[in-house]
Amino acid sequence: MKLHLPPRVSPQTFAAALKAYAGVVGKDWVMASDSDRDAYSDIYAPGDAGQWAASAAVAPASVEEVRAIVRLANEYKTPLWPVARGKNLGYGTAAPRMAGAIVLDLGRMNRILDIDPKLATCVLEPGVGFFDLHDAILREKHPLWMSVPGNGWGSVIGNALDHGIGYTPYGLHARNLCGMEVVLPDGDLLRTGMGAMDNNPAWHLFPFSYGPTFDLAFTQSNLGVVTKAGLWLQPAPEASLELIFDIPEEGDIGWVVDTIAPLKISGLIDQNVFIPSWLGKMVLKGQRHDFWDKPGAIPEWRVAELLKQYKLGYWQVALRLYGEESVIKAKAEIVKTAMKRHLAAAPQENWWRQGDAIGQYEITMGVPSAVPLQMSDWIGGRGAHMGFSPVVPATSAHVLGQLKRSRKIIADHDVDFYASFTIGGRFANNINMLMYDRDDAPMVENMKSLFNALIAETAKAGYGEYRTHLGWMDPVMDTFNFNNNALRRFDEKVKSALDPNGIIAPGKQGVWPAAYASERHSAPQGAASAKGGKA
Amino acid sequence: MSRLVVAAAALVLGATVALAQAGAPVPHGPPPGPPPPYQLRPAYPAGDRLKAGGDGRVLFEAHCGYCHLAGGMGTNLVTKQQMMMGRSPDQGLLANRTDLTADYVKAVVRNGKGAMPVQTRVDITDTELDAVAKYLGKAG
Repeated sequence: MKLHLPPRVSPQTFAAALKAYAGVVGKDWVMASDSDRDAYSDIYAPGDAGQWAASAAVAPASVEEVRAIVRLANEYKTPLWPVARGKNLGYGTAAPRMAGAIVLDLGRMNRILDIDPKLATCVLEPGVGFFDLHDAILREKHPLWMSVPGNGWGSVIGNALDHGIGYTPYGLHARNLCGMEVVLPDGDLLRTGMGAMDNNPAWHLFPFSYGPTFDLAFTQSNLGVVTKAGLWLQPAPEASLELIFDIPEEGDIGWVVDTIAPLKISGLIDQNVFIPSWLGKMVLKGQRHDFWDKPGAIPEWRVAELLKQYKLGYWQVALRLYGEESVIKAKAEIVKTAMKRHLAAAPQENWWRQGDAIGQYEITMGVPSAVPLQMSDWIGGRGAHMGFSPVVPATSAHVLGQLKRSRKIIADHDVDFYASFTIGGRFANNINMLMYDRDDAPMVENMKSLFNALIAETAKAGYGEYRTHLGWMDPVMDTFNFNNNALRRFDEKVKSALDPNGIIAPGKQGVWPAAYASERHSAPQGAASAKGGKA
Repeated sequence: MSRLVVAAAALVLGATVALAQAGAPVPHGPPPGPPPPYQLRPAYPAGDRLKAGGDGRVLFEAHCGYCHLAGGMGTNLVTKQQMMMGRSPDQGLLANRTDLTADYVKAVVRNGKGAMPVQTRVDITDTELDAVAKYLGKAG
């Protein structure tokens, strides 16, 4: 990829900055070849990846190196885009929001600093991947389970900081964070919570600071670089039972949500309940052209045939209970009775007990896997996906309304419908997977138009996204419009005060420091057309 | 791809997925053996990642294993491709291949291929990749 210099930085200053960074990390860890820039680009970019081109990447090995780099970034005015492992697939991978930023790749900081099996916590550097932590827990035979997202390849801390979700009782990953160490935009070093006191052993146990608690302000944020964090883990249960309900009809999602959400809110179900539509299963069975070889959405009659042939419901609820066997049995009876009011078929029941093997695809038991990414192969070519992810209240009225709205927009764009609702409590995350071949320009344009329409129409109905791709960070931030976008105005006031040079992740989530305010609409991927999308 | 190959590939590749997510109850039996390699990769070798002469097998399993050991996404997809070419499913494991060259391995790692993303030099350094390419590149 060709070199995009950071705004207002001359080639001479850029070269001097890279040399200064090399003085901190060693020349091999400053990566600035065309091929390096490719490697840090968005591998799923909808359209030209150059819109989010990194100028280089620098990879520190310690917090002291991070501090030195941040100080140099202030000196040379070369903005940084911190990534933990850079595997935020579907949301921009490792690429920066603002072209020309230097990726601060924390992948070398991959030490597992502590695992406490008694209090079920760990302390991690950002480069620790889900597989790494899983392997370490297995190796030491700790009685602990993790919560993992669909892509286990990424960073445990990075995913939590980006508000990732998993499918266990610990599935709201940002809530598991407890006590962080953060390099601030001026290179100062902060520890939050009890860690604000030297050597306090409760740093990763008590979730609040004395006074204001800033931990979550460092998530989806550009206020600092998190260099380590505590994370709560799930004690391995005595037993677990999976109840699998195939839900036949599209509209059944309404009663499913009304049945499960109250049980989740009451605590009877403690898991984040993941409810994918049928295509989530089909993508593992082959490629799209194996089942439908024409362009455009698979027609309803063919969907009906496929569901029959592969014995799939329109939705599937694979609900898992955890704990003592006697308690699970009692809970299962309540769940089954509630479901039976609407569904005659009994669920499949899969028991697991301590000592049993755990299958390698058991995401609801915290086993990391990259297999869900196999959906990239569904379309073929350089397969890619983005997620459109609004949050809706966990009631049938809201869920059905959202389903109907997004279904129509997706159908109007002649695209296959692949959605899931994850019931996290009083709300559900509705993730709509949009899959495309990066090299098929008309298909990509259609996806962009679809994405714009989904954001605009969903916001009009009163709902917002919990996370989005780089190209739509500004349009989505625009949708949070209470009191003339008071949230963004506040974010930017804080940002500009803490980071006058704007060198940490300018534009992250649509929050621009004053120093780069003019760049806000520099990559008008979504901004230009979010209001005027098709449908 | 013919329906037959789809079915066969799904059987080989997706069997565990199907069973784990929708099928047979997990038996309550004797304690299991060690976890499969996909679940427990070797630890990253300690020391300078820029120094040449690392163990290609260990580096491959540690850095590439989450996708390219048994049951990984890469193995699933390569198995399908190999079967479409009339080869046996065990050719889905890169370590079993005898037709890979070191240069090809390096090119795929640094350029990506299909669903496989480009790997950065933090993911795998040039010297680590040399060792991995030598280990996998049995065709030279």
